[in-house]
Amino acid sequence: MSAVRDAIGGRSAFVGGLALLAAALLVFLVADVPGSDLVTVGAMERALQAATPIALAAIGGLYAEKSGVFNIGLEGFMIFGALFGAVTAWTASGGDGVGQADLWFGVLVATLVCGLLAALFAVLLIRYEADQIVAGLAVWFIGLGFGPFISTVVWGGVSSPSLPNIDNVVVPVLSEVPIAGRLFFDASPLVMFTVLLAVGAWVVLFRTRYGYWVQAAGENPEALDTAGVDVNRVRYATLVFSGLMAGLGGAVLSIGIGSGFTGTGVTMVDGRGWIAIVAYLFGNYNPLGTYGASLLFGAMDMLQIQLQTVGISLPGSITGLFPYVAVLVVLVVVGYTRVPAAVGEPYAKED
Amino acid sequence: MPESTDNAPAVELTDITKRFGDVVANDGVDFSLRRGSVHAVVGENGAGKTTLMKVLYGLYDPDEGTVTVDGEPRTFESPRDAIDAGVGMIHQHFQLVDTMTVLQNIVLGHEPSKNGLVDDREARERVREICDAYGFSVDEHLDADVEDLGLGVQQHVEIVKSLYRGAETLIFDEPTAVLTPQEVEGLFDVMDALTDDGRSLVFITHKLDEAMTAADEITVLRDGSAVGTVDADETSRNELARMMVGREVLFDAEPRELSPGDVALSVDGVCADDERGIRQVDDVSFAVREGEILGVAGVEGNGQRELIETITGMRGAERGVVALFGDDITELSRRERIESGIAYVPGDRTREGLVQEYSLVKNALLGNQTVEPFADGAFLDWRAITDHADAIVEEYDVRPADADATAESLSGGNQQKFVVGRELERNPSLLVAAHPTRGVDIGSIEFIHERLREMRDEGVAVVLVSSKLDEVKRLSDRTAVMYEGEFVDVVDPGDVTEEELGLMMAGQSLDDPDTVALDAGGDA
Amino acid sequence: MSDAGASHVRAALDRIVDRMLRASVLERIVIAIVSTTLALVIGAGIVALSGYDAVEFVYSLVYGAVGELSNVAFTLRQSTMLILAGVAVAVAFRAGVLNIGVQGQFVVGGFAATLAILFLTPLLPANTVAGVVLMVVAGGAAVAAGGAYGALPGLMKAYAGANEVITTIMLNFIASGVVYFLLDAYLRPPGAAAPNTESFPDYVDLPGFAFGSPSFSVIGFGIALVTVAVVYVYMTQTGSGYDLVTSGYQEPAAKYSGVDPNRMIVRTMTLSGMIAGLAGALFAVMILGYYSDPNTFPTFGFDAIAVSLLAANNPLGVIPAGLLFGGLDAGGQYIGFTLDVPSELVDGVIGLIVLFVAAPELFRAAGRYTGLGGDAG
Repeated sequence: MSAVRDAIGGRSAFVGGLALLAAALLVFLVADVPGSDLVTVGAMERALQAATPIALAAIGGLYAEKSGVFNIGLEGFMIFGALFGAVTAWTASGGDGVGQADLWFGVLVATLVCGLLAALFAVLLIRYEADQIVAGLAVWFIGLGFGPFISTVVWGGVSSPSLPNIDNVVVPVLSEVPIAGRLFFDASPLVMFTVLLAVGAWVVLFRTRYGYWVQAAGENPEALDTAGVDVNRVRYATLVFSGLMAGLGGAVLSIGIGSGFTGTGVTMVDGRGWIAIVAYLFGNYNPLGTYGASLLFGAMDMLQIQLQTVGISLPGSITGLFPYVAVLVVLVVVGYTRVPAAVGEPYAKED
Repeated sequence: MPESTDNAPAVELTDITKRFGDVVANDGVDFSLRRGSVHAVVGENGAGKTTLMKVLYGLYDPDEGTVTVDGEPRTFESPRDAIDAGVGMIHQHFQLVDTMTVLQNIVLGHEPSKNGLVDDREARERVREICDAYGFSVDEHLDADVEDLGLGVQQHVEIVKSLYRGAETLIFDEPTAVLTPQEVEGLFDVMDALTDDGRSLVFITHKLDEAMTAADEITVLRDGSAVGTVDADETSRNELARMMVGREVLFDAEPRELSPGDVALSVDGVCADDERGIRQVDDVSFAVREGEILGVAGVEGNGQRELIETITGMRGAERGVVALFGDDITELSRRERIESGIAYVPGDRTREGLVQEYSLVKNALLGNQTVEPFADGAFLDWRAITDHADAIVEEYDVRPADADATAESLSGGNQQKFVVGRELERNPSLLVAAHPTRGVDIGSIEFIHERLREMRDEGVAVVLVSSKLDEVKRLSDRTAVMYEGEFVDVVDPGDVTEEELGLMMAGQSLDDPDTVALDAGGDA
Repeated sequence: MSDAGASHVRAALDRIVDRMLRASVLERIVIAIVSTTLALVIGAGIVALSGYDAVEFVYSLVYGAVGELSNVAFTLRQSTMLILAGVAVAVAFRAGVLNIGVQGQFVVGGFAATLAILFLTPLLPANTVAGVVLMVVAGGAAVAAGGAYGALPGLMKAYAGANEVITTIMLNFIASGVVYFLLDAYLRPPGAAAPNTESFPDYVDLPGFAFGSPSFSVIGFGIALVTVAVVYVYMTQTGSGYDLVTSGYQEPAAKYSGVDPNRMIVRTMTLSGMIAGLAGALFAVMILGYYSDPNTFPTFGFDAIAVSLLAANNPLGVIPAGLLFGGLDAGGQYIGFTLDVPSELVDGVIGLIVLFVAAPELFRAAGRYTGLGGDAG
């Protein structure tokens, strides 16, 4: 029973809602009900893709906040991830066309570099007890500044030239399965990876000792300390993890499913780091719920295209706002999520 | 199993000195715990009891001195080392993760694992073994979230946690603060069971009666030094108190002259919920007259906080009427209630009563922002406020006598004296004081008690909430006991024994046949 | 220098630093200066690493800020906006409400001012008095609109528990999107290519004496300073301001003293939005002279956050901080025109400044490490 309780994060209304949604989607897909043109397998594919960067950053951020450190700089890390992915892939190709290997290499390097940056960030937050919100905002500013800057140094402009992205992987036999086949077995490997990551993150958080430590570090760090576990080491680990994931999410955005790095305005990341935070709040710090919330926001992102195919043509400036409005609605409706009790307070052992 | 002489102490602390900046918390303290015994450590707040035990438990590094466990000198880098050496601690503020289950809490940090996952079955088995050995019922709640359990059960979880980690020596830090007298008896039984099994216990407390009942030996600390160690059977409360304070302390209540006036505060059928929507005050009715102190006794967590907040305007009542001199104030805001003459000494002085980073001058304004001499229309008159702050500091013996000092630079007792002064200087018609002497040194406690009595003598109606039974008994003219959101009874403190009060605190009223039987046959 | 001499100097330095570290206002100033310097050094270092001339970079930065009269005017122009927006942020942050939405409130305010001017101009004669009236009305409209747009996330936080950092950021995006849509669909003069409104008439503008700049008026700067003064007096001399500041320190204590926490949150956000709206009006009237796609506007609202943080959320401190950032902005733009170095670097440097300001402990630790300052901190 407790497994089910953990899986749904203890909120039966949420589960009920999700079940209803899944049922509705199925109906729309299969039957010829008015409005079913909106829901196509193609749309769901795109939603899964759009959800991936958000989900990656969200799961990382979830771990960090659950352990008591609020990484509000996810947006900044995503910018760096997007940028370094593109830069590395482009540099690795050496000038003669960017190939798949270069792209994968780019993804790897971007992830690691962001993990490293997060380690530095963690030192500031934990060892030097920096104000977590201010420091996170600073990371965003730094990303907004140095992202386009580095882009200009490399390419002479704030955006990269158009780049290819990572190919889909087709799994024989399984990809013939209706609906699920196209969604999961003829898709970008990064999409699949993210689904598996969500499941893995759930298992680790609720079924392993490391997960227990993460939970304790965020709720009652003193209890964890007196149990003999180094609280700050746990927090370093989760912060670095959140940096790795946000970096990966950014790289997915630029060269995984996108076409390079766009650094105009607020960069191509365009608020996804913030949406990721809302995703895990909505998902009640549960990796599975978080993935679901990311799907919801991903779907919002894709709604504009869907509406056009159905013939409803709203100006881009308005439909582009759907994700943001969705976030507002979610926050108002869900509002008070129980935040881990010790978030934001540096844990200093008195000696 | 290494040979251990029964005479060798389980734990020995030799010449322990621990400093925090200029403050010497422990000064060359010697402490020796006989195996299989209960050894109490008593002293006032700030005497160094908890510090000493934190040294033993590995939370602090001593600046000088040695810790010896089972005859071997040890250095503990962290509690992990102490646990490995068999020393466990049951903290005053439970080290439990509210949102995790009992089982998860017990095994935290020592989780048995299989294939990378936590081995649930093994964990359960081992916990059950411990519970069976000592008669704990914790194993019935293994999957409950800790926050859903009562404090008494939570404490058992803490104890089982230490036993699970293999503690041979257990340190109890003020374990009875949150227990009813009956639960305290239960705790003493547990302690007996543990010592019968050969374990050695340290019991930190400032309650002398409990020390004398439960312990074999008592060590008294005062201002960081060990004053002496006595046999529990051979000492008396007075001797211990004298050692603790260094002078004679009065224990008896003073006779009071009663002449109460009109009904100042009337509470009628009030119900209130806490932040989680759980009913905490359940149909409470009572009245307080001018010139009397109504004491509200009870273990913390039975609705006292919510009741106080309903009276002072910090919380809305779900039902019922609160009236001040006949006027219905139930719907009045906090500010309006301040303006109608209600003074409030809050239980949480660090978060509510004072802004730690503000000077005392700025703190003097708290609650007074719209009051005449301090506010001139929309603007503030800082000179008037400064004068007021200076006056409070002088009248109420706040040390150091500097109104520009920040609140956080003052000791707990001085902070409290300032808060009390600020509230009393409102010339209130109703004074509500919650835990007014919590964390306060004995000298300041006497001072505050005197002032409360003065208020009463001047005709102010006073509601006093406290979890210190002796404080309630000494000060109140009438005593109400609160249990699970209801007033069990309202009695004359001179007419009841502490045992009867204890029963009331556990929900049993004086009319209950069990209590009547006790009165008839038993001895106080 | 002899040993005795060296140790004297050392002791003197010790005492100075010690006193500096103890006095918290002074401490904050020291931290601000050190953070900025450090960030600039790192910025220059990055510039050098990227193959550009670091010395030229620093020189151009300074020249672009104060090198000639027109540069000074530009710096002051940017500072005006940053000071106003900075005060808007400071008011909220001081009360513990993290209003990241000043950019959106600024956009909305400017838009309201624009609408007021465009609709009322035809109704009034074409002279300076009418111009003043129009500007005052526009200012009022902007303040009202900005206040309302600020109240919105305030209400969401107070009554639905919605985290204001995220809601205000979302509302920034929404403000830009909606205003752009309205401009594009309804306010674009026929045949125009860009989504700009008609220009405001000449008499609806602030006079640019002293500096001879079409987009900077000392009056604008004066408005910013007056706003700072008003806010400062409000915070320190009124009961309502005391409540606001207390709410930022310890909300339970504020509640104990009679403050209604929900109303305070909404009041704070409204006040913050009102000031941001005023900044928007000033931007539209003094600098632009028409209204345009908000996505092309300078990010005063975000930079203002850095300004306020550097000033430790003190309204008076916002003035020097605003001047500093105005100078950085001007210098950065100058670099963008005259050098190869991309001006986004300055944004990065600003981010670094904020990062360092966020970690005062870093400096205390550095102080301890170098042995300065006795055993303070």
